[in-house]
Amino acid sequence: MTPVKTLARLALTALVALATPPAAIAQDSGRLRLEITDAVIEPMPIAVPQFIAESAGASDMAARISQVVVDDLIGTGLFRQIPSDAFISQVTAFSSPVQYADWKAINAQALITGAVSTDANGLINVKFRLYDVFAGQELGDGLQFAGTQEGWRRMAHKVADAVYNRITGEGGYFDSRVVYVAEAGPKDQRQKRLGIMDYDGANVQYLTDSSAIVLAPRFSPTGDRILYTSYETGFPRIYVLDVASVGRRALPIPDGDMAFSPRFGPDGNTVVFSLTQGGNTDLWRMTVDGASPVRLTNAPSIETAPSFSPDGSRIVIESDRSGTPQLYVMDANGGEATRISFGQGRYGTPVWSPRGDLIAFTKQNKGRFHIGVMRVDGSEERLLTASFLDEGPTWSPNGRVIMFTRETQGAGGEARLYSVDSTGRNLKPVSTGGAASDPAWGPLQK
Amino acid sequence: MHIGHYISGVGHAGFIAALLFGGFAPTPEPFEVTEVAVITGDEFDRMVQAARPPQTATDVAMPAPPDDAQSDAPAPAQQDTPPATATPKVTQAPEAETPPPTPPAPTPEADVSDEPPRIAPPPQEQAVLAPPVSDRPVPRPVPRVAPEPVARPEPEAKPDPVQREEVVPDDALPPIPQDPQEATAPEEATTEIVTEATEKPSSAPTASLRPKTRPNLPAAVAETKPAPATPPATNQNAVNDALAAALGGGSASSAASGGDSPPTDGNGTAPSGPPMTAGDKDALRVSVQRCWNVGSLSAEAMRTTVTVLVEMGRDSKPIHATIRRLGYEGGNETSARQAFEAARRAIIRCGNDGFDLPAEKYEHWRELELVFNPEKMRIK
Repeated sequence: MTPVKTLARLALTALVALATPPAAIAQDSGRLRLEITDAVIEPMPIAVPQFIAESAGASDMAARISQVVVDDLIGTGLFRQIPSDAFISQVTAFSSPVQYADWKAINAQALITGAVSTDANGLINVKFRLYDVFAGQELGDGLQFAGTQEGWRRMAHKVADAVYNRITGEGGYFDSRVVYVAEAGPKDQRQKRLGIMDYDGANVQYLTDSSAIVLAPRFSPTGDRILYTSYETGFPRIYVLDVASVGRRALPIPDGDMAFSPRFGPDGNTVVFSLTQGGNTDLWRMTVDGASPVRLTNAPSIETAPSFSPDGSRIVIESDRSGTPQLYVMDANGGEATRISFGQGRYGTPVWSPRGDLIAFTKQNKGRFHIGVMRVDGSEERLLTASFLDEGPTWSPNGRVIMFTRETQGAGGEARLYSVDSTGRNLKPVSTGGAASDPAWGPLQK
Repeated sequence: MHIGHYISGVGHAGFIAALLFGGFAPTPEPFEVTEVAVITGDEFDRMVQAARPPQTATDVAMPAPPDDAQSDAPAPAQQDTPPATATPKVTQAPEAETPPPTPPAPTPEADVSDEPPRIAPPPQEQAVLAPPVSDRPVPRPVPRVAPEPVARPEPEAKPDPVQREEVVPDDALPPIPQDPQEATAPEEATTEIVTEATEKPSSAPTASLRPKTRPNLPAAVAETKPAPATPPATNQNAVNDALAAALGGGSASSAASGGDSPPTDGNGTAPSGPPMTAGDKDALRVSVQRCWNVGSLSAEAMRTTVTVLVEMGRDSKPIHATIRRLGYEGGNETSARQAFEAARRAIIRCGNDGFDLPAEKYEHWRELELVFNPEKMRIK
């Protein structure tokens, strides 16, 4: 074909395309095109038959692991378990073919099969498969985890994380820990100590004793260290605690000054905190070793509660420079802060989401406290909770769930930990075995 | 002041006074009090007999005409032909009969006593039993006008269609000869021949102006949306196909391969039959969205619009193996996969028993292109 003819054909094609309206194009394609814009939001029904015990003595472990997997998934509010009584076909072997019709008949949209085995060394193996029942195919490949019997809960959490990730497309948060302040005693003589637990309240361990008041623990990005504030010297001081050895040391702060509200930077080596000198509170930054202190703000107002953005370039802070506590975003190296909260009431304790898209905060308005989220520019503010006292939000590692402190009213009131989805759904208490406050969610464990 | 004015004023005043105080206004009739007397039947008959009007006499003698000389009226003027005047008939007035004297009404003797009459005290109110209510009367059976239902009339007899024998052309008959028609010359369009040399040049423009260039684009936006995953590629085959379709032919590629294969989908095979109505489409849309569960989708997947193609069987059930992703907007490959899986589950779940689709319009819904856009659900 000569170039002239090709050009002529192209021009004619363009003319035809321009003269034909889009609707006509859709009509000519012979397909009926529909846009679906409404949907339902409800838990996905899943079937989790008890994992198969592939070795003698593993049946009890298989049952426990199956139950933790179910609890993890159901606890998200995104899934609904189909009771085993409704099962038509039974899974008798891990590699047996799946009767999709039987699971489809009971409206199971996902099927999780697994098996547990133990060896002579005391190690256990957990493997699982996930099926999309209505598509009639497996979702991803099967996975297998090996570990000690003491770590069986972690393996169950990892199975649940993998299932969660494959269905939702988001990272899980089940194999993570939370550090918090465990409280005991009456309100006027409250004893506080640091506690660490699995995200679901299991495996509680205490990191400090109750000799001094401790506040605001914060995990390092790798989860191996914890920053917290202690009053053991009479003044608030910041300590760095190693989780494995429970050893600690204080950040070097001049005598007479008060340091509090610390937070790790994304690199794990930077600490940003509030320092009160001569009655004025400003933000400072230094390395976790106590070197290179840098003053980030210098204003007569109170600047506190800093939180880094995931990339470490900016921090969100709480400041009362406008007269009431509000939220501001500023460069991580200091400089002018931009106010982002403009609603009624007082804003505080901002926390940047691990995804970087939202900022969680505490809001006090008309005598009630709220946990809310807003975009990093202050838009689309949404209040997720409301109660007598809600405060101190912390994000799950995947940025989907927020844990916070809720304190009940009255002399007998006590603080408890609650969690809520960032959409405001699935508000539920976290089992801690006692009063607890100031949660800080750690990263997924390696 | 003229005397006329006085006269006029007095006259008007009088007229007004007459209107106000005269008898023009309707006055109510005064009550008449009449004394009555009780009479017997005989007395009433006599009285009626006396008041009976007299009989009118019919054979009454004509009176004598009046004398003109003795008349006081002036004499009428002499006329040529005096008009004939009708003489009025005068009837003799009957003598009024005197009514018979009415007997004097008897005056009752007054029974007067000095003692005032005793008035009995009113009886005290006593509870009175309500009279027993009689039973509701039972209607007596009434004979029906037409006790027996009228039999349905016989249906009208329809004339049977006349069976006509099929007309078979008789080959034996000779063809009817047609009169030959003479060839006629076509009519001339114009009365004179106009050659190109004598044609006046047209005033229409021979070339159009070059279109103006577009204004410069605004400054680059900070956030640029990622390009769609499957941009419409323009290759030579597509150009040839579009040209062939525009020129009324089949697919160029199919023509190149012999042209015997049926036109493939998406190359201009418009479905036949009645079109899908808005109600049909809405019913299908509602059926699908009823099973589209976005509760377990990630935030990224909730920002992903995925387009899914599915082929349908005649039983209005989706053919599972044909469900595939045509493309997506927003999000990334991972989120698009999550969104597609949720969409596929919705199609399969709610299509398991078949969608409510009109069977006669199968050609229209044989292939469905469903766009799952979760934008509205993102804020819920």
